[in-house]
Amino acid sequence: MGEIILEARNVNKYFHDPVEVKVLDGIGLSVNKGEFATITGKSGCGKSTLLYILSTMDTDYEGELNIDGEQMKGKNEAALARVRSGKIGFVFQFHYLLNEFSVLQNVMLPGLKLNRFPPAEVEQRAMAKLDQLGIGPLAKRKAYQLSGGEKQRVAIARALINDPCIIMGDEPTGNLDKKNGELVFEIFRRLAEEYRQTLLIVTHDQEFASRTDRVIRMEDGKIVQS
Amino acid sequence: MKLAIDIARSLLMARWRQTLVAAIGVTFSVGMFVALLGFMEGLNGMLDSLFLNRTPHIRLYNEVKPAAVQPVMLLPAYRSGHHFIHSVKPKGSRTEIHNSAAIMQALRQDGRVAGIAPKVAMEVFFNEGPSDIAASVNGIDVLQENALFHFSEYVQAGDPASLEKVPNSIILGKALAERLLTDVGERVQLTTPGGERFTLKVVALWQSGIQDFDRIQSFTSLATARKLSGKTGNFVTDIQIRLNNIDDAPALAKMYGQMFNTSAQDVQTLSAEFETGSFIRSLISYVVGITLLTVSGFGIYNILNMMIYEKMDTIAILKATGFSGKDVRRIFTIMALSIGVFGGLAGLLFGGMLSVGIDQVPFRTTSLPTVTTYPVSYEPFIYIIGAVFSLLFTWLAGWLPSRKAGTIDPVIIIRGK
Repeated sequence: MGEIILEARNVNKYFHDPVEVKVLDGIGLSVNKGEFATITGKSGCGKSTLLYILSTMDTDYEGELNIDGEQMKGKNEAALARVRSGKIGFVFQFHYLLNEFSVLQNVMLPGLKLNRFPPAEVEQRAMAKLDQLGIGPLAKRKAYQLSGGEKQRVAIARALINDPCIIMGDEPTGNLDKKNGELVFEIFRRLAEEYRQTLLIVTHDQEFASRTDRVIRMEDGKIVQS
Repeated sequence: MKLAIDIARSLLMARWRQTLVAAIGVTFSVGMFVALLGFMEGLNGMLDSLFLNRTPHIRLYNEVKPAAVQPVMLLPAYRSGHHFIHSVKPKGSRTEIHNSAAIMQALRQDGRVAGIAPKVAMEVFFNEGPSDIAASVNGIDVLQENALFHFSEYVQAGDPASLEKVPNSIILGKALAERLLTDVGERVQLTTPGGERFTLKVVALWQSGIQDFDRIQSFTSLATARKLSGKTGNFVTDIQIRLNNIDDAPALAKMYGQMFNTSAQDVQTLSAEFETGSFIRSLISYVVGITLLTVSGFGIYNILNMMIYEKMDTIAILKATGFSGKDVRRIFTIMALSIGVFGGLAGLLFGGMLSVGIDQVPFRTTSLPTVTTYPVSYEPFIYIIGAVFSLLFTWLAGWLPSRKAGTIDPVIIIRGK
């Protein structure tokens, strides 16, 4: 057992519309540093909902959430944005790149926002991340000129730019074909093995899940295996 | 802050056509506002000057009226008790302003007075064959009259300056000249109230544009008018005063009336309906202007609103990658304001050009001979209102949706997919 990066205690979440439904029921979960964990479960079991809460993007829940030893409940919107900026990298099912910007700029934006390094250094680091993921030559292209697999790799580079404590992914391979999905998985695996990067990925792909360190299985808003 | 500006610029440039449409919306409404208000202000100014150009702000004169203190009141024996005096009549008809030279001297030294012009007014009969035509003769100082009341601008034919050079000369109202069947260079005969007959040479024709005026007015030099009325020296019946600030007229008229012991009439009392008309016209132009601004304001609001709602994805991504609501708000406010600044500037330019265009359209009116094109006002305050409005409304139009964008949880947008 290593250092705990992320810990959720007794998290409940309700959807109010159209009728009150309890989607998360007493979730307790902790993720250690360097762990490559996946959350799996059938559609509608609440795995994405849980991930959005863990990533601080959804603030409408009951319970406690600690990230890197910090209590998240009760923080205001700006403070949560700072946490997301510095400690969490997020990869969506859809790449969610900004089409108005080039690949390099897309990767740089969170780094520029965090302002931990001067712009020139952020650019250097962004370039390094892109090279690391094998898409360095695409840096000057616009985001919409890339293929799906390339876009997802750019999104991963963007998630990495601020050296986050944890990378979260919501079905990052869900929208990719077999080959690209494999490529993205390989990147995650390499990050976990070579860089001791903590990863928490939501997926319904059983094969993907089975190859990771730890599988957290959910059913009807509850964790049934972790 | 710099990052926010960079992002705002990239977002605007990426959809430059949409940005252009939004900016053109601002440009068009601000331009129209500036042009319309400039035109209306110009017309208002023209209508005001139609009256104000020729009207003294204060007129000092001597009204023929019975003495306020009747002799019986001065007798000590009748000091007490009430006097019933019937059929009081004015004594003599002395219309001269007493001690006019000293009054004019005092007025010239008054800082509130822009200028004064003395006048000798009298009634005469022009003789045309067997018929007599009643008319007024005004002895004027052409130089002063020009400086204060744009006299020469209303002269249609001939040279008004000849009034001072040619002895026994007269300027006739155009309609009066037509009635007398004379023209510039010919002579007219007139009879004074004293019964004397004079022959004067017509040196110019004058037209105010008001027919009733033009039928009965004529002008001569002060010296000729004094000769006609059989008076000498400093004989003056009216002193016309033009003030630096027209709003002082009622107060000053009262003061001068007491100080110089004459009757004094201010322009506001003379023509209350003018004030009302002027006020109503200004009111109308402001109502139209504000309506225009409000309508175009909603147009701007719509465009910006749509623009921001289209960018909801971008907002969600920015927030998911660590931008706070404040950053997002700032980015969209910068976008809205830059549209306002550039659209507004272009609008002021466009409005100015429209004004110049309107200014070229020929427009002739007999009542204002100097006006040859449609009058347009280039008052800075119109442009200032336009500039302030474009900034204020784009800011408001950006503020409402960007506030919403700033407070929304990114997951709401992502989930909505």
